[in-house]
Amino acid sequence: MSGKTKIMERKGKDLYERLYLVEVFKGMAVTFGHFISNFLDNSKLYVRHYPEQKPEITARWRGRHRLTKHEDGTMKCVACFMCQTNCPAKCIMIEAGERVDGRTEKMPVRFDIDLLECIYCGYCVEACPMDAIRMDTGIFSVTGDKRSSFVMTLNDLLATPGAFTEEEYKKGGA
Amino acid sequence: MSQLDILLLVLRVAFGAFVPLCFIAVLVWMERRGAAFFQDRSGPNRANILGFRAGGLVQNLADAVKLITKEDVIPDHVKHKFYFVLAPVIVFFIALVSFAAIPFADALVINGKEYIMQAIPTDLGILWFLALAGFSVYGIILAGWSSHNKYGILGGLRAAAQVISYEIPMGLAIISLLIVYGTVSLTEMAQLQGQLLFGFIPMWGVVLQPLGAVIFIVAAFAETNRTPFDLAEGESELVAGFHVEYSSMKFGMFFMGEYVALFTSSAIIVTLFFGGFQIPWFATETLVNHARPVTVLMMLLLPVFAKVFAMWISKNNRSHYDRVDDPRVREAQIYIKGLWGLVAAIEIVLFIYLITVSGGVADRILVTILQIITFLVKTTLMCFVYVWVRWTLPRFRYDQLQKLGWQTLLPLSLLNIFVTSAIVVALS
Repeated sequence: MSGKTKIMERKGKDLYERLYLVEVFKGMAVTFGHFISNFLDNSKLYVRHYPEQKPEITARWRGRHRLTKHEDGTMKCVACFMCQTNCPAKCIMIEAGERVDGRTEKMPVRFDIDLLECIYCGYCVEACPMDAIRMDTGIFSVTGDKRSSFVMTLNDLLATPGAFTEEEYKKGGA
Repeated sequence: MSQLDILLLVLRVAFGAFVPLCFIAVLVWMERRGAAFFQDRSGPNRANILGFRAGGLVQNLADAVKLITKEDVIPDHVKHKFYFVLAPVIVFFIALVSFAAIPFADALVINGKEYIMQAIPTDLGILWFLALAGFSVYGIILAGWSSHNKYGILGGLRAAAQVISYEIPMGLAIISLLIVYGTVSLTEMAQLQGQLLFGFIPMWGVVLQPLGAVIFIVAAFAETNRTPFDLAEGESELVAGFHVEYSSMKFGMFFMGEYVALFTSSAIIVTLFFGGFQIPWFATETLVNHARPVTVLMMLLLPVFAKVFAMWISKNNRSHYDRVDDPRVREAQIYIKGLWGLVAAIEIVLFIYLITVSGGVADRILVTILQIITFLVKTTLMCFVYVWVRWTLPRFRYDQLQKLGWQTLLPLSLLNIFVTSAIVVALS
């Protein structure tokens, strides 16, 4: 079986192109066009003025984690350790305790996520059978001045609200 | 020596020493903002003092503070600490000193005595530049060798081979230029370029020696280690090349030396090929003889330029997002007020000059100042060409570089010498 061969034309062999200078000037004309239009009117720059203008985050984007709640305000997490087991970075640290709100038997008394270890892979979200952990906060910039400030505790995770409606989040493929 | 002699000596040396240093700030700013604009980015424009950004110039201060306060490391494996420290000094000092022989204005005649407007009033001119331009690479080689580092030594070797290859076409291009001008003094060369060819074309070096100009400019790019010839640095393959082991202000010296070298080689290109300090169609004597009409013309044109500049500032110095009571608009208004204040001050000085001291020595000083401004504007434009080329052309491969130097530029420059000599002999 003979395949169809396509011979690519090699550029840059004829004298005109080997003179090089003409092509150099062409290239310089292109870049100068960009320069002069930006110089005369700098609103044409393809720039987001970041701290003032935030980027648009879609619902599929994996941001900082949060723990979700039922409508009555009790947490969905049942301390099944699925996310902790599935975590490739071993950044989740759960301690289970007895449930006091009467929904099931177990709930976490400690749920720490070390954001310095976390690789934001989203496996915890996929592993969760209760839809208790989500990465839909839209927080992409995590900063702090000491290591301990990067450890998210149970209360931090519960207090962070989601950035999207339930509808948008479901549409995002979760 | 009279007091006037001493004053002019101090002024000229100060000009030769401080103008390249001031231009470091301007060139770094031009490089960074220019690079950004070529790539449709904005560049560093956030650093400010009390809200004054000066179009990003304040960033230079932040850079300087950072470089000065960084830890100055001399790695333990460096055996020859003296040479390690000496290398950046050589690069910076040589670049600065080679500006000394470049004329920034025509010879100033006061009371029948002629003062050559160079930092060092020498007739050696182009020979001085050639000698020092070849010397500056010693700093790079020394840095590469004394760093005791593979990347460093490779960078140094590349720089050495590159300078050897490109020094020759550069020298030969200068020879064909010397045949045309018949002098080595840069002041005389620039004076010759004030004449007109066929009565209407300024007799610039680029008109008389187009091929020589191309060869010289290409070789000058290679000599200053700028893209497309920055193989000595080559960050994609050599990390940072010769200055990989340098930190803090020792790196700062290399950095500043690069920009001073850029300024100096722009100045020499302008002097040799683009008329130096000459204003096209206005030779020195013409200007001196018509000082009054020229002054009136300047007084009329200055507000027009200032108006255009002010419009440009108010158009571009504003925030490009919704902002209540935009502080950048207020900033722009202050700049524009400052600009008009400056224009008013210059107009007043020119007016006082017109009604009191015009005629005689004052005319010559006025023309000298005009020529200095012309020279600096031309040099800045040439520096812009350097930046422009850097952000347009990709780096050469090493064999391409050597091939271009030895197989293209060298034969071309030899041919140029023969053709030039033949024409000069035929015409004389």
